[in-house]
Amino acid sequence: MASKVHQITVWARGVVQDKEGRDIANGVASAAGRAGKFTQAFDNYVDLPDRVNVPLRKYARISDEEIEERYEYENATPEIVIVADATIVKGINILRGMEKGGTLVVATDRKPEEILKFIPNKDLLGTIVCVDAKAICGDQTVDFSGSEGGVDSLGIGQGISAPILGALARGTDLVTLDSLDAVVKNKEALHKGHEQAVVKALN
Amino acid sequence: MPREMMLSGCAASAQAAKMAQVEVICSYPIRPYTAIMMELAKMVANGELDAEFVHGEGEHAQLSVVLGAAAAGARALTGSSGVGVTYAFETYSPIAGGRIPLQMMIADRALDPPGDFGSEHTDAMSCRDQGWLMGWAENPQEAFDNCLINYRVGEDHRVLLPQFVCQDGYFVSHMPGKVVLPDQGQVDEFLPPYNLPHPLDPKRPVSHGPQIRPDQGTIMDLQRAQAMLDAPAVIREVIDDFNRIFGRNYSPFVEEYMTDDAEMAFFIMGAHTMTARHAVRHLRSQGVKIGLVKLRFVRPWPTQEVAEALSKFKAVGVVETSTSYGGAMRGGNLLHEVRASLYELPQRPLTTSFMAGLGGEMVPLKEFYYMADILSKAVKEGKTRKTVYWVGFEAEE
Repeated sequence: MASKVHQITVWARGVVQDKEGRDIANGVASAAGRAGKFTQAFDNYVDLPDRVNVPLRKYARISDEEIEERYEYENATPEIVIVADATIVKGINILRGMEKGGTLVVATDRKPEEILKFIPNKDLLGTIVCVDAKAICGDQTVDFSGSEGGVDSLGIGQGISAPILGALARGTDLVTLDSLDAVVKNKEALHKGHEQAVVKALN
Repeated sequence: MPREMMLSGCAASAQAAKMAQVEVICSYPIRPYTAIMMELAKMVANGELDAEFVHGEGEHAQLSVVLGAAAAGARALTGSSGVGVTYAFETYSPIAGGRIPLQMMIADRALDPPGDFGSEHTDAMSCRDQGWLMGWAENPQEAFDNCLINYRVGEDHRVLLPQFVCQDGYFVSHMPGKVVLPDQGQVDEFLPPYNLPHPLDPKRPVSHGPQIRPDQGTIMDLQRAQAMLDAPAVIREVIDDFNRIFGRNYSPFVEEYMTDDAEMAFFIMGAHTMTARHAVRHLRSQGVKIGLVKLRFVRPWPTQEVAEALSKFKAVGVVETSTSYGGAMRGGNLLHEVRASLYELPQRPLTTSFMAGLGGEMVPLKEFYYMADILSKAVKEGKTRKTVYWVGFEAEE
């Protein structure tokens, strides 16, 4: 049987964060792909077409071997969940399907302890990473060229996705800052996100 | 130099249309094929593609616009999905009967009700008997290649038929895969300029699509049928050329995977072939003698090739991704044609069908294992228990 497929789920807000959310998923997959992994990145098909501010999911998958069930619509068991807008944490069971020991990355100006208060199933988490992405680079690029299977014409990580990806590299070994450096456009924000991320180990 | 890119089936299809230098494009939005038009619109706006881009007021208009354009001598492209495909149904026979070789790209979507974005082949399969070439791509690379192959076959003066170039919605249309984009020079070598023998031209007036008397009907139908009969020889020639120029290794009609000494096989087309291949590989490693036969063209149906490929097995499971309610096989469309293909054989394999992936549901590995198990039982018992299994909805075997 094929080796484990690592699932990464990104939550973002419709339209206003559609591209930045997609950039996070594409950034993870491209960086891991450069490091020799088998990867996939795609929008949640049934979330689209999106509406302004509705919660959206974008997915990435990373594996040491060819991914055999590429057509799974959703990540049923994400081991990393990334939230581009912290208010999503409050209303949605973002950790659904996560096995114990997973990682949560949240773009927020709050501390991990404050965010955890809103997460009833926080015992699933092994690590939480908070990054004040808006303070580092608050831009939210709105561009639809890459939606619905189209080719993104602007490149990955100009705005808020860059510091979030930097913070992710602090919370996981699945991607490294070096490999992200090669695919993310706003490198300064990527590195600041990496430096300024607050990482808290749990359990 | 050819370059490799990660592209969705939609993006790959648009690249192929660009390299085929389509001259008139008519769009109307519907998921999931929309991104083909999104990409082409970008190319036209950026000046990368010199084509007339017309936005139709619906699918019927789309087909009417490209019919006019192709009849006047332009290489024309349109596309749709799901109920968009069926909304334009009236136009399909006049286009094929008028022998206008335009191309329609279809990214499948289940028909209503209820509204469903998921892929199912029923939209395109419902149009299969109108005299259009028709076949499915397994992945974005094939979506790219099939555009060029179909233009070349359809425009050949021995054929002159329009083409439905199909891909599964989402699985192929939205999921990025590796695509090798060839040089323009390779495409130009493969695909000669559009040259309709009877274009609409004020300097050389001709009539297209006039009213006829009933006694003129049969001969026109016969000619359309003959074009389909003549197409396979052209397809063989074109695939040979394609393989030579682009360095591929396509079989014209059916592709076999791990069929050496196989006792049973899946018969399948489109996106789910990829998962089926993995299932076959895993089953083989457990000693199960199973293989896979992939269909590349539904029209013209390759009767001889299907019979030859399947005759060596004891049992064949036809994976159906379309519905034929009340049909002879009580399930999908492909088993009808598979059984008809096998009829003349002195020794026929057992055949059954599996309804799977309808409404766009993915077909996971475990469902292929379930199908393989049913085939194993058929081999053991020397008979099939049923002609159709609704996978996931059957009582435990």
